[in-house]
Amino acid sequence: MDGGFVLWLFAVAVGASALGGMLGMAGGIFIVPILTILGHIDIHTAIGASIVSVIACSCGGAAPYLRGRLTNIRLAIVLEVATTLGALTGVLLSGVIPVPYLFFLFAVILLLSAQQMLARRGEPAMIAAEANSGPWVASLRLDSSYPDRTLGRDIAYRVQRVPLGMMLMYGAGLISALLGIGSGVLKIPAMDSALRLPIKVSSGTSNFMIGVTAAASAGAYFMRGNIVAGVAGPVALGSVVGAVLGARILMVVSNDKIRLLFVVVLIVLAAQMLLAAFGVDLMKGSA
Amino acid sequence: MNLEGLLAYVLQYGTWLASATIVAGLALALTGSRTGTHDITIGIALFILLPVFRVAVMLVVFLRERDYRFSAIAATVLMIICVGFALGRL
Repeated sequence: MDGGFVLWLFAVAVGASALGGMLGMAGGIFIVPILTILGHIDIHTAIGASIVSVIACSCGGAAPYLRGRLTNIRLAIVLEVATTLGALTGVLLSGVIPVPYLFFLFAVILLLSAQQMLARRGEPAMIAAEANSGPWVASLRLDSSYPDRTLGRDIAYRVQRVPLGMMLMYGAGLISALLGIGSGVLKIPAMDSALRLPIKVSSGTSNFMIGVTAAASAGAYFMRGNIVAGVAGPVALGSVVGAVLGARILMVVSNDKIRLLFVVVLIVLAAQMLLAAFGVDLMKGSA
Repeated sequence: MNLEGLLAYVLQYGTWLASATIVAGLALALTGSRTGTHDITIGIALFILLPVFRVAVMLVVFLRERDYRFSAIAATVLMIICVGFALGRL
């Protein structure tokens, strides 16, 4: 095993997960493009390493959310039925989709994420207490409350439109398995627009769910031999360190600066992935 | 301890265990030992199994609370993950 390569993988994962962690996301969306374009690693191996990194970010970051009562675990397990089914579909598709299409799809997801970052995310409109949450939610007791530090009291919230949320979550699981990412790009609209969760609850619940979603596909990739120890090991380790670091940096740097950095990185990577999709490799000569 | 606290504990210490296994494996592999790669693979497997174990813990707690509806939901998620593992063998 080459020490320099291990160190490079570790550093990439620390950077990607720190950047993702600052915005409450896993770093998978950065890891696959960097490993394939700069590291010339096979895309299926990169996706395998990245999906393990998503699990590491999720498990490593879950405790503070859980202890702060920002994770709605009842809602999470209900939605996980949809995300894991989506993940199985993604695993089945990943074997048959040609590699250039994977690069193209990745570029599209990167651009969508950039656009989502630019559109400011507001707290979902408070729905009057008598708003009907449907027979689903009432019978599953998904409504809950979370402690708000600035207000110093518990805020009750209701979970809305669960069937629509489940459909979006199925898509999120599929994309997660196919591309090796946490798929925040589909989870955020599902949590905000469909389920109408407060942002903090949405971050906590999403972080909690991505680990299980990723485990469903990682299990298949592990058995298939797509998870290469020499690549996935350093990446997983770097992700744990990066996720912890990202949460710390979040406290001192302004959210707007991180957002801008995030958008720039996403657009650069999207351009590279598009070039790769069409068979152009700018890095080959210089690397 | 409530269920949230228990899950936080499981995920936190599980992450430590898996990370430590990978660190040990990497250290061995970089010094040229053959068992290193094997240890890294075990660490990765631990990471993959950690969320699965978390769902199993939820299933047990729901069963003990006689919350059969949520027990069934947790069991369904576990079953889907097992199908995922089986898919990789095809």
